[in-house]
Amino acid sequence: MINNLPEAQKIVKNRMLDRADQETAIKAMDDGVETVWDRFASQQPQCGFGNLGVCCNRCAMGPCRTEPFGKKPTRGVCGAEADLIVARNLLDDLTTGAAAHSDHGREVVEAMLATSEGRAQGYQIHDEGKLHVVATEYGIKTAGRKKEEIAGELARALLEEYGTLKNRIQMTERAPQKTKDAWKKAGIMPRSVDREIVEAMHRIHMGVDSDYTNILLHAMRTALSDGWGGSMMGTDASDILFGTPTPLKAWINLATISRDKVNIVLHGHNPVLSDMIVKAAADPGLVKRAKDAGAAGINLAGMCCTGNELLMRHGIPLAGSFFDQELVIATGAIEAMVIDYQCIFPAVTQTAGCYHTKVVTTSRKAKIPGSIYKEFRPENAYDTAKEIIGLAIDNFANRNPDRVRIPDKPMQLMSGFSEEAIRKALGGTYKPLIDAIVAGKIKGAVGIVGCNNPKIKQDYGHVTLAKELIRRDILVVETGCAAIACGKAGLLVPEAADMAGPGLKSVCNALGIPPVLHMGSCVDCSRILVLAANIAKELNVGISDLPLGGAAPEWYSQKAISIGTYFVASGVYTVLGIAPKIFGSKNVVNLLAAQLNGVVNATFAIEPDPVKAADLLEAEINRKRKALGI
Amino acid sequence: MQTVFVRPELCVCCRHCEVACAVEHSQSKTIFGAIGEERISQPRIHVEPGIDYLAFPNRCRHCDPAPCMQVCPTDALVRDKPTGSVIVQYPLCIGCAVCAMACPFGIITFHRVSQISADRDVNAKCDNCIERQKAGKIPACAEACKTGALEFGDANDLIRVSRKDFTLRMLKSEGTDVEVPRIPENVRAFRAILKELAEMS
Repeated sequence: MINNLPEAQKIVKNRMLDRADQETAIKAMDDGVETVWDRFASQQPQCGFGNLGVCCNRCAMGPCRTEPFGKKPTRGVCGAEADLIVARNLLDDLTTGAAAHSDHGREVVEAMLATSEGRAQGYQIHDEGKLHVVATEYGIKTAGRKKEEIAGELARALLEEYGTLKNRIQMTERAPQKTKDAWKKAGIMPRSVDREIVEAMHRIHMGVDSDYTNILLHAMRTALSDGWGGSMMGTDASDILFGTPTPLKAWINLATISRDKVNIVLHGHNPVLSDMIVKAAADPGLVKRAKDAGAAGINLAGMCCTGNELLMRHGIPLAGSFFDQELVIATGAIEAMVIDYQCIFPAVTQTAGCYHTKVVTTSRKAKIPGSIYKEFRPENAYDTAKEIIGLAIDNFANRNPDRVRIPDKPMQLMSGFSEEAIRKALGGTYKPLIDAIVAGKIKGAVGIVGCNNPKIKQDYGHVTLAKELIRRDILVVETGCAAIACGKAGLLVPEAADMAGPGLKSVCNALGIPPVLHMGSCVDCSRILVLAANIAKELNVGISDLPLGGAAPEWYSQKAISIGTYFVASGVYTVLGIAPKIFGSKNVVNLLAAQLNGVVNATFAIEPDPVKAADLLEAEINRKRKALGI
Repeated sequence: MQTVFVRPELCVCCRHCEVACAVEHSQSKTIFGAIGEERISQPRIHVEPGIDYLAFPNRCRHCDPAPCMQVCPTDALVRDKPTGSVIVQYPLCIGCAVCAMACPFGIITFHRVSQISADRDVNAKCDNCIERQKAGKIPACAEACKTGALEFGDANDLIRVSRKDFTLRMLKSEGTDVEVPRIPENVRAFRAILKELAEMS
């Protein structure tokens, strides 16, 4: 299919940073496989009304748009001006993201409840220590009680956080007092997970909230109900069920796909599915069956955030990020891609159709035409997991060796940096880290999070920003596809400290840790919040006083809007590499980029160039250092 | 001379004009009907992506004399005197594409059209919406454009606006400090971000 190889190589070099990705992208082109970059190109030009956020498609009087150059129409049919249309759209997007995280969290808690009641097949309470810690926060007695009993009571208490009666979320108590006071003062203390989401949907109905400031304040409250609610519960319930991550070494990139084993890619987000597949894959009967089928064994490879979950807890190899989902299939060596939900391209079954790969959907919430549906519930989880693996083994015979091309050289990485693990590595207290910050060895820390987006070369934003920051003695913590990008680029190994400034390098070398810490999946951005909160509490300040920053250089998802907003609402200045759809309203831009300083002492900034983004983050860190008198 | 004047700096790439054009040249002339017709009506205006995520809405300029008319071997292209439009007589078109070779703007494309039953691709270029014009309406693309990137009217009147802009720029003698037409700060900021992203790839 490729007639001009140098031209093709030039194209893929523009599209992605990673060598293994580039090699496989060439193969995909050669095989005539359509990818996200092709679809992005065929979408050009994209609509400016949509891009500016002034397109409103909510009600049947519309669709409407306002004119961005100062002419008519300046109002939609209902009378909404650009400020309102932009704010409503933003709240809508943010709420979608918060709902996605929080509903994921709910499913983990439900699995915990089913486990505690003996209804869940194959699950068990893995981390009794963390169970006790969280249960105690919820006022649940632990002494002398069976872990299942505690877990049952805790699961019910966590499910209450989604309800409407309690009117407060316990986990927000983890925030420092000053941060909580700022939320109370602004009226953005979240009341419950589902309530904020439902209320957001109510407010964006025509004729409800028409004040863009009021809408954006609710957006912050909804985001907080995600970060300090749904996502945090997702993280904690996962830790209790599957174990709290501890540092470990593993392998990453498309070279983790095996030439001679049955390859199963686990793609999506929730460990409730993927962790059980990991468990079932160790079944001697299945391993024998794979060998009988002519394979050397079973190779599981993670993808996207469920890959991060498996990597963090079990060191399962990680094949790649969001934009690698089509490329991994194009290796021609994938027997099954097993998915739950979120960030799965609807086109993935079309991609799989070009090879022998079977796509297995597992969630009632996320079906894809052309996939094999195996409903996954806690009650039959182990059996279903075995069935799915069996299906992949049976498909091994259909692999066409002539169509297989797997890049070589996987990268090593260090993962497993839960908040608990970081604290433990520091000796049980943040004092050594605080001392290093006060001494200026480490200037501050930045959380780089988020996705891939075809508007920027895959991984370029993540990797360049991380390198720039560590060079300036700024510690980087990462989750999601940002962490995967830096793993592929070799930044998640202790040796990467050589790329750091002298201060950060000495701290990393003393502790044997990388300068860029992998903290988990996108719901695990909650770990970053807890980390920041614990440091702030040791210093008796608010999170917004700390020399911290956030960045989402390549974000695409509504979930990232929620994450960015709970970062900012929690007091963390956050730089976005892709412009959100808000530029149709000067007032909304001004509120998010300037006025929020007066509310939460943090704002958003937008800067696509990762080097300039590093300048902004460094300046903010210096501003906060100065205010602290260090 | 009536024309659809293009001000590319006001184009936001929404492609309303493309949709309106396709609907206008469909059988049903409604969006809901047009998408289900056997011969899907194709836009005759092209919002073509260029650099920095910017685009130019390109359509037939209805030149006079028109290079396409001059080279057409079957005289399928004729001028509608009252509107000055260059019109294709579909039954006469043999699909040789010589008109497209002669067209300085590259706007001639070939498609099956609902206006004739023949099962062949013909020159399906812009007809300046002469039916609409005869009914006292302006071309569908210009009507659909909300930003003023496409404006229908007397060419000299429309050009006068640009001339006035230029005059202003000259008199102020401040070169690029005077941006005409004035692009709002927020739109400029957004375009700067797009430009930065485009330059990074």
